[in-house]
Amino acid sequence: MQKFVPTLLVAGMSLALTACMQSEKQDPRVSINKNPFPSSYKALPSSATLLKNATVLTGTGERLENSDVLLVDGKIAEIGQNLSKSNATEVDATGKWITPGIIDVHSHLGVYPSPSVESHSDGNEMTGPNTSEVWAEHGIWPQDPGFEAARAGGITTLQILPGSANLFGGRGVTLRNVPSHTMQGMKFPEAPYGLKMACGENPKRVYGSRKVAPSTRMGNMAGYRMAFAEAAEYKRAWDKYNADYDAGKNPTAPTRDIELDTLMGVLDGDIMIHNHCYKAEEMAMMIDLGKEFNYHSGTFHHAIEGYKIADLLAENGNCAAMWPDWWGFKMEAYDMVQENVAIVDGKPNSCAIVHSDSSSTIQRLNQEAGKIMFRANENGFSLKEEDAITWITYNAAKSLGVEKTTGSLEVGKNADVVLWNQSPFSVYAQAEQVFVDGAKVYDRFDDKYQAKSDFLLGQE
Amino acid sequence: MKLFKSSLLTLALAATSTWVNAQSLAITNATVHTAGEQGVLQNATVIVEGGKITAINPESVSADTVIDAEGKNLTPGIINAMNNLGLVEVGAVSRSRDAGAKSADITFDPSLAFNPKSTVIAYTRKGGITSSMVSPRGGDNMFKGQIFHADLSGGFDSVRVANNAVYLELGAESKGSRATNLQKLMNKLSDFQDKMAKAKKDDKKESELKRDEKVLEALLSGEKLMVVYADRASELLNIIKLKEQFGLNIAISSAADAVVVAEQLAKAEVPVIINALDNLPSSFDALNTSLDNAAKLTEAGVKVVMTSGGDTHNMYQLRFNAGNAIANGLSREQALEAITSNVAEVFGLNTGEIAVGKTADLVLWSADPFELSTKVDKIWIDGKEVSTQSRSDKLRDRYMATSDMPRAYTK
Repeated sequence: MQKFVPTLLVAGMSLALTACMQSEKQDPRVSINKNPFPSSYKALPSSATLLKNATVLTGTGERLENSDVLLVDGKIAEIGQNLSKSNATEVDATGKWITPGIIDVHSHLGVYPSPSVESHSDGNEMTGPNTSEVWAEHGIWPQDPGFEAARAGGITTLQILPGSANLFGGRGVTLRNVPSHTMQGMKFPEAPYGLKMACGENPKRVYGSRKVAPSTRMGNMAGYRMAFAEAAEYKRAWDKYNADYDAGKNPTAPTRDIELDTLMGVLDGDIMIHNHCYKAEEMAMMIDLGKEFNYHSGTFHHAIEGYKIADLLAENGNCAAMWPDWWGFKMEAYDMVQENVAIVDGKPNSCAIVHSDSSSTIQRLNQEAGKIMFRANENGFSLKEEDAITWITYNAAKSLGVEKTTGSLEVGKNADVVLWNQSPFSVYAQAEQVFVDGAKVYDRFDDKYQAKSDFLLGQE
Repeated sequence: MKLFKSSLLTLALAATSTWVNAQSLAITNATVHTAGEQGVLQNATVIVEGGKITAINPESVSADTVIDAEGKNLTPGIINAMNNLGLVEVGAVSRSRDAGAKSADITFDPSLAFNPKSTVIAYTRKGGITSSMVSPRGGDNMFKGQIFHADLSGGFDSVRVANNAVYLELGAESKGSRATNLQKLMNKLSDFQDKMAKAKKDDKKESELKRDEKVLEALLSGEKLMVVYADRASELLNIIKLKEQFGLNIAISSAADAVVVAEQLAKAEVPVIINALDNLPSSFDALNTSLDNAAKLTEAGVKVVMTSGGDTHNMYQLRFNAGNAIANGLSREQALEAITSNVAEVFGLNTGEIAVGKTADLVLWSADPFELSTKVDKIWIDGKEVSTQSRSDKLRDRYMATSDMPRAYTK
């Protein structure tokens, strides 16, 4: 795995530096383009919209009765009672509920699309335990009909992650859930990249069965540490190059390494960790691993045993993304409790999230959150709708680093909004209208706002 | 309110006697969803004796135990189908899996491996599920083996009917053609018919039949159900032809594109066993899936059985699938039937309905059975009340308890 050989390079650089101590002409600075596949997303056409007289869950823990939400120029313009706005499209939302657009931090739409065919199985580069060099966005098929189905369930933002076969699965990408025939057309403009890491059974099974490392959890930890040690050297080499260049010298740039670029991005704080990690003892070690290499250990995904270390997660500022009830498919998923999310959520400064990892339940994250709220309330909690909604809106936005622009209904934020026919925590709840950046992208009762994938055209 | 002449007696018995099988139970003042001809009965009383429902709304109530339902909903216990309950504890732990074998054939009987002590069973009772049609899975043969009926009592006598139905899979193949298995199946059935006709002519005895031939005989006589996995509409029509040609009793499992041939399925009286939440084009055989398919099929006259789609560990959620089907056009009664009486009818079970003579598999719900906020208040299997507490409740309680000692001391 050691592709980067720091000692030789550093030696070479110091030679070069000694040779050119005298201020000579500087070569052009070598820099890394951090955004080579930039977003081309543009909000769909919209006009001012005034949603009247609804129960509003803000995503910040508040519930407003008989309230209006005004969307103007793609932003939340006003929230309150008896609002009016000339030329706005008014929607009578009496008896209905309004929430922020739903966010799923863990999806494989596009990289494991429907139909499930070999030709589109692009989510897991299972050719080595460290594939930090691969990017999920390069495997996305934007025509996955799952995006449409998720939109009908109120999903406005979602992170597409590589799979969990590898210790480092590659970069994840955050998308706006709008129809587009290019990935860039969906890409969330300001969102930072994520790096998918995986603990536990998957990497050791995939590589152990091939008789290569890792074949144990010891091997997993060793693999992360070796990679970050190498990344730290790489970062030092680049930092030194930049410092020397800034000092007027003419240093030789380190050899570019796409894999280490990603890990350096983590060390620089540009890329957020999204760590598939089920078990309490493993999450505790991953938190320490981040401290060892001076990066933040980020969000734990599928944190089945989050409830065992709820304090630790909150103290260290880790989000935990969880299912309500998936269990039993592996030993590491054996200790599920249905109140997991509520227990993690119960600590001060916590960040509990409900995620899907499924093309089916992504369509009903509201119901997934509802199940948790009701089960927890049967067992000592007193959670309300305004609390539960944060698990699939604000907290999810925070995990993705986009909480300044989306995830809650606050004046000035992006108008990502769902209008529900009733409380979203009912089994009968349905999203009636969905807005992304103030533009209607879905209407349950208007075919004009029901997009259809290329794939489904002309099929019988 | 009914009058209970037995209330004093009940108190006395509760204080002095331990449970005996013949003990009688009266559930009074319930909103009874019979899932049968009687529809919904308000303020109704259900009497249970010897594990069976013996009376509904009797003139007078006399029972050892009387439960006042306070108007809450009483339904038949839910029956899930086509899962691996009791055959798998942890999916990725090979030695905890018994649902299939490479060499499995038409005679494979996985009920012999059923583990009533699996932690999945108590957990599944949280969903009001009282019994399950457990199916085999995997193997090289298109015949996966025999489906059996087991209750969720957790007792060593949980298997109610072994070898209830034959399960086989048709459809898309990674290697080769889907035509091969269908052709093999047709040949197998007609070859056996020919053999039987010849044997009859030669006056040979039935005892000469091999074990697998006995299964074929039961299929061809229509006495044994054959559940066939298939999705593509043209394939469903092939299966209807099979039914008609050989006089088979057939149900189709998965049946993703059933809506395309709903009229034909209804006319041929072929029930479908579907996951109502399947709404993505998961393959080229499943291009017409939709959340309203359960409603559309029922409307067309097809008998619909809903399952949780093979998810054994979370099959407890079946009632929520039914709730989503209601949100997408199915009536509440139809949704309940699709997870109770329709299952019983298709598999020939004496449960799944609140009617005199049926096995007393019953659930009393805190409110609307399909709603996320509702929980099981009481659940009876074979007339006996069982708990919904599971291993996950123990774990939750341990980690929510206050203690300055390590959690391992909290039991």
